[in-house]
Amino acid sequence: MDKNATLDAKGLMCPMPIVGLAKKAKEMKSGQVLELLSDDVGAREDVPAWCSRTGNQLIGTEEEGKLLKFYIRIK
Amino acid sequence: MTDRLSMVVCEGTFDKAMMPLILGTTAASMGSEVNVFYTFFGTKLLTKGVKPKLPGMMRFFTGMIVGRMKKMGIPDYEGMMNQAMELGVNFYACSTTLGLMGIKEGDLRPGVKVLGAAAFLKMAQESNVSLFIG
Repeated sequence: MDKNATLDAKGLMCPMPIVGLAKKAKEMKSGQVLELLSDDVGAREDVPAWCSRTGNQLIGTEEEGKLLKFYIRIK
Repeated sequence: MTDRLSMVVCEGTFDKAMMPLILGTTAASMGSEVNVFYTFFGTKLLTKGVKPKLPGMMRFFTGMIVGRMKKMGIPDYEGMMNQAMELGVNFYACSTTLGLMGIKEGDLRPGVKVLGAAAFLKMAQESNVSLFIG
């Protein structure tokens, strides 16, 4: 999937991936796509929840074993 | 309507200290306004240089738990406080408790505000989520 930036949050446990995600999203322009990498079990539900409450769009998810890749379009 | 989270903290052990910071930081990351009110034994947590410990005999394991949390990317109490303040979480010390516990305004960490019950209750009444920690 095409992306404008990647945030590697591997090794971080909830809520740190979300805190990092919020910070990174602020730095990006509207319409850009952010790829978030996480191996945190909580992230599976945290990331969609964050997107839903903040109005950012989760456009795709990929799983490679324990690694989760989220693709978020910044509002 | 803005999301607003209000929390009341009335105990001062390490676990009770970290909970509102973790929840508050997360809520702030989701765009929520967060107000945390510290009263009774929780008020000590807002003083400069405080190092909260786990309750009772577990106090000796505090360092171990902090170490484990750091490995997971979660900062210690001081780090978490700074992170929360950076994200705009509002911290309030109960004015009456300060008097009760002999804590002076100068002892509070910078950025902490002093508030009374009625003012905080107004915030809680205007919040869609209110939580009690302790």
